[in-house]
Amino acid sequence: MPRYAVDLDVTLILNGLPPIHWAIAGAIIAAIALALLLIANRRLGLSTGLEDICSLVLEQPYFQRSAVTSGRGWRLPFLIGLTLGGFLSAVLGGGWHPTWALGMFDTVIGFGPAGKLAWMFVGGVFIGFGTRLANGCTSGHGIFGVSNFEFPSVVASACFFGAGILTTQLIYRVIFH
Amino acid sequence: MKILMTALYLALGTIFGFTLSRSGAADYDFIQAMFLFKNLQLYGIMGSAVVLAAPGLWLIQRRGRTALGTPIHVELKPLNRGTIVGSLLFGVGWSMAGMCPGPIFVNLGEGKIYALAALAGALVGASALGTVYRSLQSIFGLPALKTPSRA
Repeated sequence: MPRYAVDLDVTLILNGLPPIHWAIAGAIIAAIALALLLIANRRLGLSTGLEDICSLVLEQPYFQRSAVTSGRGWRLPFLIGLTLGGFLSAVLGGGWHPTWALGMFDTVIGFGPAGKLAWMFVGGVFIGFGTRLANGCTSGHGIFGVSNFEFPSVVASACFFGAGILTTQLIYRVIFH
Repeated sequence: MKILMTALYLALGTIFGFTLSRSGAADYDFIQAMFLFKNLQLYGIMGSAVVLAAPGLWLIQRRGRTALGTPIHVELKPLNRGTIVGSLLFGVGWSMAGMCPGPIFVNLGEGKIYALAALAGALVGASALGTVYRSLQSIFGLPALKTPSRA
């Protein structure tokens, strides 16, 4: 296949499943953001959940601030739900098996398990430090903030999409070309 | 009431997680295909979610009350140098791991072993930011911490 062609046949790494339609996924995500606000006065935002977990063991004032302590009661069960949702998706879609499969990372970069763990850990540090410095991620800035016409969220989304595009282009079109 | 709400959050999270899992939003290949402009699935998801959520958010805030009758208050996020630098750093991590914060948990549930390393990294990153927050405050123009009065 030509390197720059649009590829309509990307399948999920999870058991090679075909993806559900994007508009259905978008509608469900919007419905959940609206339900959280309408039912519980909660602003969708998941990266604060990383701090919720930290706050269970860390005592610094940063982790005991009200934005964290007042939201733990909804975010922690929500995060458990995310994990459960992924589990059910596997069970109902071909079966749950622990796996190292990582799609095009395997075919193009090809690091083994130790390399993958190191790569993912570094990526995770960027995610954890970056989202908390930016005070939001794809959900809090990208979906809720942009939908609510908040200028800081538009700036944040432009930055994380821009940096993501640049990094992937560098990795797959320059470094591991 | 509290247990009911907890069950509700768990249920909403489960639906959200299932949707992220099956739509490609928590899939390494779909994330890379989005950033390579080879497949536009995830732009479609983000775009449709925003287009559908926007009028709803406006209506709910105009109504001003939750379904249970309590007041609605949406805390707005500040704009500072941290918003820009932090989002740039996050974008690098999103590309590397092929996951943003929510999908880390989805990938864990799916049985992707390497998601454990991404979660460990994210917790270390968030702890690091929390630990150095005060020394970054003036450089990035970050807001003061609102801590409850614990004395």
